[in-house]
Amino acid sequence: MAPRGSPVSERRNDRLSWLDAVLAAGATAASFVPDTSPDSADVGDPAGVEFVEDATLETHAIDESAWRPRATSFLDGFQSWRVVAYDRIVPVLRAWVAAGVRRRDAGRRLRTVHEIGHELAITFTDRLSPAVRSALEASGVPIVSIADEGWGPPGAALAAARRALETARVGVEREAGKMWPKTATEDEWLVVDGVLSDHAALAAHARAIGVVKNPGARYFDGSDLETALTLPAEHRTSVFQPPARGAAAVHSWYLRLWPWEGNDLLHGLVRVEAPARRETAERADAISAWLLAERAPLTLPDARWHRLLYPLHDVETYLRTRAPAFLRAEPAGRLPARPA
Amino acid sequence: MIDRAAEGARVPVGRVVATEVKPATPQHFHFWTAVDTTIGIGAIVRVEDGRGERVVYGVVTDGFAYSDLASPLYDVVGAEGDPARAAESPTTRQEVRLWTAAVLRQEPAEPLQPVPLGAVYVATDADVAQALRMDAYVTGDRPTGIPVGLYSAGGLEAPVYLDADFLLGPEAAHLNISGVSGLATKTSAVEFLLASIFEHYPEHKGSIAAVCFNVKGPDLCYLDQPGALDEEDLRRYARLDVPAEPFPRVRYFAPFKADGVNLNTLRTHPDLVGDVQPLVWGLPEVLQFAEVLLNRDDIDAKADAFIDFLQDRVVERSFTDEWGNHHRVTTFADLERLFRSVFDGLEQSGRADMWRTHHIATIRKVRNRLLNISTRCKGLVTDDGASSDLPWGEFEDRSVYVVDVANVDPLGQDLVFARVVSRLREHLERGELGVRAVVVFADELNKYAPADGPDTYVRKMLLDISERGRYLGLVLFGAEQFRSQVHRRVIGNAGTTLYGRMDMDELATPGYQVLSPATKIKLATMPVGELMVRHPHFTQPVFVRFPRPSVLRGRDGAERFPPAADVPFDDAVVRQLSRLDRGVQPSRVKDLVAGREADDVRRALAHVRHTRPADVFAAFRRALGERVNTEPTVERRTVAPLNPISEEPY
Repeated sequence: MAPRGSPVSERRNDRLSWLDAVLAAGATAASFVPDTSPDSADVGDPAGVEFVEDATLETHAIDESAWRPRATSFLDGFQSWRVVAYDRIVPVLRAWVAAGVRRRDAGRRLRTVHEIGHELAITFTDRLSPAVRSALEASGVPIVSIADEGWGPPGAALAAARRALETARVGVEREAGKMWPKTATEDEWLVVDGVLSDHAALAAHARAIGVVKNPGARYFDGSDLETALTLPAEHRTSVFQPPARGAAAVHSWYLRLWPWEGNDLLHGLVRVEAPARRETAERADAISAWLLAERAPLTLPDARWHRLLYPLHDVETYLRTRAPAFLRAEPAGRLPARPA
Repeated sequence: MIDRAAEGARVPVGRVVATEVKPATPQHFHFWTAVDTTIGIGAIVRVEDGRGERVVYGVVTDGFAYSDLASPLYDVVGAEGDPARAAESPTTRQEVRLWTAAVLRQEPAEPLQPVPLGAVYVATDADVAQALRMDAYVTGDRPTGIPVGLYSAGGLEAPVYLDADFLLGPEAAHLNISGVSGLATKTSAVEFLLASIFEHYPEHKGSIAAVCFNVKGPDLCYLDQPGALDEEDLRRYARLDVPAEPFPRVRYFAPFKADGVNLNTLRTHPDLVGDVQPLVWGLPEVLQFAEVLLNRDDIDAKADAFIDFLQDRVVERSFTDEWGNHHRVTTFADLERLFRSVFDGLEQSGRADMWRTHHIATIRKVRNRLLNISTRCKGLVTDDGASSDLPWGEFEDRSVYVVDVANVDPLGQDLVFARVVSRLREHLERGELGVRAVVVFADELNKYAPADGPDTYVRKMLLDISERGRYLGLVLFGAEQFRSQVHRRVIGNAGTTLYGRMDMDELATPGYQVLSPATKIKLATMPVGELMVRHPHFTQPVFVRFPRPSVLRGRDGAERFPPAADVPFDDAVVRQLSRLDRGVQPSRVKDLVAGREADDVRRALAHVRHTRPADVFAAFRRALGERVNTEPTVERRTVAPLNPISEEPY
């Protein structure tokens, strides 16, 4: 399959040498796989929230059969990493970030239209020994250098590395997001996994929406917060405009996909982001109806099934299967070498 | 032959995958394809390792489809229990079409290694030839390929050839075909294959003929008449390089009915009956196969010894009994006279229990059984008169000899089968048949060579053919509905096996354990005109399609040429004589036979048939002899009863 306008084809065995070079320069080989591809963090603050629809946060019942777009694409990202070496106690990570857009065809099957993938080396460059740093920089692999403020014990260092990795992933997602409008048909919609406001190219697009499946941002207090968190199934809240967070302003609302009673307040709750356009509030019911329809098929047994739409799950699965083999290997400790 | 034009730019249709649970081995491998694929069970594929070092050919034996659904319950929950809703989901789940294939051939053959995880292609003509190892016998200076059908998959089509050396001897031989009845597969397949053999049997292997036993209905009665073929059939014939024509040389043999003059066959339409030759045997022919006609209990040493005595010392010899009566036994009638003479002689002389060391009870038993034959098989076995038989020693190359015993008593069928096959064997052994090889087609093999039941003469003979026939050029093409019910040595010695649509119960028997469940399902649902083929060169079964036979099917033939009703005795005699001489005047024949004994007429008729004189009518009149006028019967006077029965009740 030909790569779809992406540098994915550059990723294969030609990068193996950078790790060899680092090890040859004195680093110690390691193998440790931290958690992979967490949900995007949703952060927010009640201050600055403006109601676009209704004077207070109201609930609106949704008729699932109201509307469905004729053509839809889905954008998601993927990240994977592995600690492959330590220069003394400075971790050197080998990472893979990827993003893809898959379009749903007339046969209701998803086909990839855009795909990007990068291999990266992530480390505290300034803390590497000169020999290892030289070897790494000379290898040609893209390096994500973590600022020294993140340095600390292994847990803190890996947390900083993880933030760097996420930033890199968001970067390739943005690249993929820029490609989509060039190939989208006139009536094609795009669903982005995560916040839309991260995508400058999409946040103003009339037919792009973001689905935040981990709506941890606290945009409301008091009764409004209670209204949002106890939203009945197949209902949405009033449309509001959260404080500007990313490249562009967006409108947003909460949508309950599945009943939360008997589970958890956040069970089946997603936050939808759409361009901050006049017609967004008018389309909120239709878009919500469409997203309710996307509940099937279920993504069980994924633990996030009640908030994870199947097509986004499909994009993620696709990207995972396309990741380089070294990242797909089972995490396992190395057995100690027998003394000579 | 093999079309190499199809080998152009090729696009892979799948890719080999191997997991710890489903690894690739030297014998099996798994590959996936697009959901919309032309691959199916029986498809032949080619795997390339991508480095040009190894090519593997395989045949698909099983298929799987599954989605990313971890539990059916998830689909129920997603559709809220409504199947209609499940169909409305905006996205279709990811699906896979995963296939299991059995390796047909690896190149290089050594070292034998697991199948590489390479690209999978649909096989072309050349690939099919390579995969089935047909390259060894389809090409070269002395090709021995016999087309059996067309393999087709993935929009490609390739002829499949059997090796004549393994189908018709001497390397291996015999063919067995199984399939449920009524789907026009078994007989049609054999008819097509015979046409293919006649067209492609290599010159260097000599001449070949076929003897077909028609054991039911009109199945094989119209092999010389053209059947209805459509465009697709004609295309297949052309692709297989077999002429789409009926057999040019067919000879029919059928016994008479009990009246001794009407033929016991469905090929009695006036336009066709002319080339049906009567099959009539007399005492010498029958006595050689007396064992066929006696049930197991009868064949004790004493009866056997007495039959031997009759054969060696009595039949067709001048013989004088102890009471001075001279005998020359050539017919059943002569034999009956001998028996009567012996019984009378013993009775008069007071020696009531022994004759020539044989006990009278044994003699009586043999007499009863033998004379019973002429009753049960009347029409086939003549009490008196000359026999009419197959043209032993004059068999012609590429000819079919149909022996129609469909309406004959089972005992008679056994006799015909045993005698014809034995005579074939004798002539082939001496190289005096006229052809070097003969295919014997017998349907209902589970009746003649059953797996269970008594060890009959016919079964022993079939076993003998199966095990030794290939050296003689005597090849058995057997057909049956249930393969499991045929003797396993007959089945096991068939080098080539064809399977039509099979019954599921039959497929559940142990003989089919080597087939995958998917292959069994395919066999159970196979359409008319498709066969599964096993052949010594093929390491796995292969599915092929063959055209409808170019001869008139039995049922159609019976409609187009409805059998003539039995004609009166004198008309039947006219018909018989007319076959020998068209100039015979019916009115003269009818006048001649009017008022004559039927047996006398039959005897005269047999004589004429046997001698084939120039002047048929004159010879018939001579054989019939002068009319003997009988004295007019005088009415007997009766005497009135003295005391007529009164109506008075008391």
